[in-house]
Amino acid sequence: MRATLLLPGLALALAAGACGDVQRAADGTASAPAPRLEQRVAVSGDVPRARPADFRAPIARYRAHVRRELTAMAADVAALRAALARGDLAGARGAWLAADGRYESIGAAYGAFGPLDAAIDGRPGVLQGGVRSARFDGLHRVELALWGRRSTADARAPAARLARDVARLRSHVGSIAIDPLDYALRAHEVLEDTLQLQLAGVASPWASAALVALEGNVRGTDVVLGSLRPLVVRRNPRVLAQAQAALARLRAELRRLHRRGGGALPRWDALPRRERERVAGLTAAAAEQLAFVPELIDPRPPRRPQRALGTELAQ
Amino acid sequence: MIRRRAFLAGGLAAGAAAAAGRLAGGAAVAAATQAPAADAALGERFAFDGTHQAGILTPRQPYAIVVAFDAIADTRGQLADALAALSARARALAHGYDALLGAPGGEGPTPDSGVLGARVTPDGLTVTIGFGASLFDDRYGLAHRRPRGLKAMPAFPDDAIEPARTHGDVLVQLCANTHEKLLHALRDLMRTTRGALAPRWKVEGFLPPPQREPGAGRNLLGFKDGTANPDVADAGLMDELVWTPEGGTFAVVRIIRNRVEFWDRVARGEQELMIGRDKAHGAPLGRAAEHDDPDYASDPNGERIPLDAHIRLARPRTPQSEGSRILRRGYNCSDGVDDAGQLDMGLLFVAFNRDLARQFEAVQKRLAGEPLVDYVVPVGGGYFYLPPGARDAQDWVGSGLFV
Repeated sequence: MRATLLLPGLALALAAGACGDVQRAADGTASAPAPRLEQRVAVSGDVPRARPADFRAPIARYRAHVRRELTAMAADVAALRAALARGDLAGARGAWLAADGRYESIGAAYGAFGPLDAAIDGRPGVLQGGVRSARFDGLHRVELALWGRRSTADARAPAARLARDVARLRSHVGSIAIDPLDYALRAHEVLEDTLQLQLAGVASPWASAALVALEGNVRGTDVVLGSLRPLVVRRNPRVLAQAQAALARLRAELRRLHRRGGGALPRWDALPRRERERVAGLTAAAAEQLAFVPELIDPRPPRRPQRALGTELAQ
Repeated sequence: MIRRRAFLAGGLAAGAAAAAGRLAGGAAVAAATQAPAADAALGERFAFDGTHQAGILTPRQPYAIVVAFDAIADTRGQLADALAALSARARALAHGYDALLGAPGGEGPTPDSGVLGARVTPDGLTVTIGFGASLFDDRYGLAHRRPRGLKAMPAFPDDAIEPARTHGDVLVQLCANTHEKLLHALRDLMRTTRGALAPRWKVEGFLPPPQREPGAGRNLLGFKDGTANPDVADAGLMDELVWTPEGGTFAVVRIIRNRVEFWDRVARGEQELMIGRDKAHGAPLGRAAEHDDPDYASDPNGERIPLDAHIRLARPRTPQSEGSRILRRGYNCSDGVDDAGQLDMGLLFVAFNRDLARQFEAVQKRLAGEPLVDYVVPVGGGYFYLPPGARDAQDWVGSGLFV
């Protein structure tokens, strides 16, 4: 089947020519046959539901990724501070982009980082007073200095605090609790964040680094999906295949932009409209496919739906 | 095997049985058979398939959304699949069906937005699909298939075109009796084609209810608009003015912002001289009723209806000009406010023609520089070719381009 970019069941129904049944049916709304939801993500009968214990190995793998990325981010922040110390704006910007991309690649654990996440990646929009708030700090405070104010001096103090907070987070990685259900949900929620914050242009208003963030987000999603692979594949290999195909398209697009930019990704706000549409469309398409993962491997005990019958079918 | 949105023959009974199988108790079957007769507006149905696409000669439904997409598919095959899927979903949405609002666990994302409740009624939905000139470039091997006469909409002298609201590879015009039907359909269609069609711009339109007054409805300038439209029941006239030989048509979409605050500061008499009609009942100036002939022959110097009045320039009613008539099917539209606090509202102008140069562009040339241009600002839209309708449920709109 070549229609990997369509929703799975639809492609199937089209291939089967099943839509014709809708048209051949007798007239009249009340009796009109309908495209009907069936068991869309059928779990093979002999595969038991996922249990929280099944997530131990995936989360351990993810934790190792977070530790590696934070180690690398600490080096990026050190390079940032060195550039600031010598007044090198271009060097500082490069180091900031590297650090930001690293942080975006560990997005599957944000919720678990608590106040340290707010200190490192807090955005002015959530603060009373916005950029004028005394609590505005971290990556985006440095971003404001480097791009909004073109100042290395203004970035030095927040960069020093950033180094401290990254080191602190790095030392806590082993003890951060990551809930199995949250982890399963991150399979598509990392890219939901990309769509809401990065590609909407609100996340890095001065550096316009949405593509750098997207690259990190895709890398993080790859790690999550890779770690969940055994759990997903034995329940429904097509879910994994379709998600991976969608991510591959997105990665290929990022590689293309990289090559064209001579190794650097362009600013999001400098990208021509059609290319922005394409990046956003591919990201949304990947989220659409990844959204099949969480329910497939939901680690919670099964719950009978407690709906009134009337909510299930029209009255 | 994933079977998201699998289509089942057998309809309600099978669906209800499936639902009952997952729910405690078997009362779902009884509940399903007690559905009341649908309201006429909700039950109204226009066939998606046919010689021509629906939504062109169809009497205007009260609500419309026009969306332009750009193709982001990697290959020609992916684009064809997406367009086939677009037609398949449009056909189902226009027909109506029962949708489960929620599904018990283990089934992935919700199958239906639920915006219309558990029963997706047809609501008079039409989905009309078209293609912009930009689709016929080298990306999908369609360059040699570009319909004769299709080009990118040029910027006319009085335009203030915003790229963000202009052009597009694929046009989708949705019209229905309710607004939420449009939003439901749009979400479904976009979800279906997410990886192949990226939205470029969208405008939502509405009409005044017909019970407000007889005759044509009013635009947001407060004037009756559409009085002189060609008669869609005249098949010969439609062949002359609307349909291309193969049964398609060319759509002109113009997002025309009305400077309403400015317009409201103009005296009624001045407004009427610019339009050429009486504001109260829509009659041509100096005539008694909306549909009276303006009789320009008796007013060669424009003493009654100025020579540069909008209706006179748009349709001079000379033998030479009658062939340039267009079938207008526009809607009023309203969005937010601009940085100056001025309302962004106006006309979602939609017109169909057999030949863009002979019809719409000839009208545009006549209108250039009319006094009204100070108050109406075209900011977007585009030219699109609307192919013939899908023959049957195995066919899809645009399939002819891919053979």
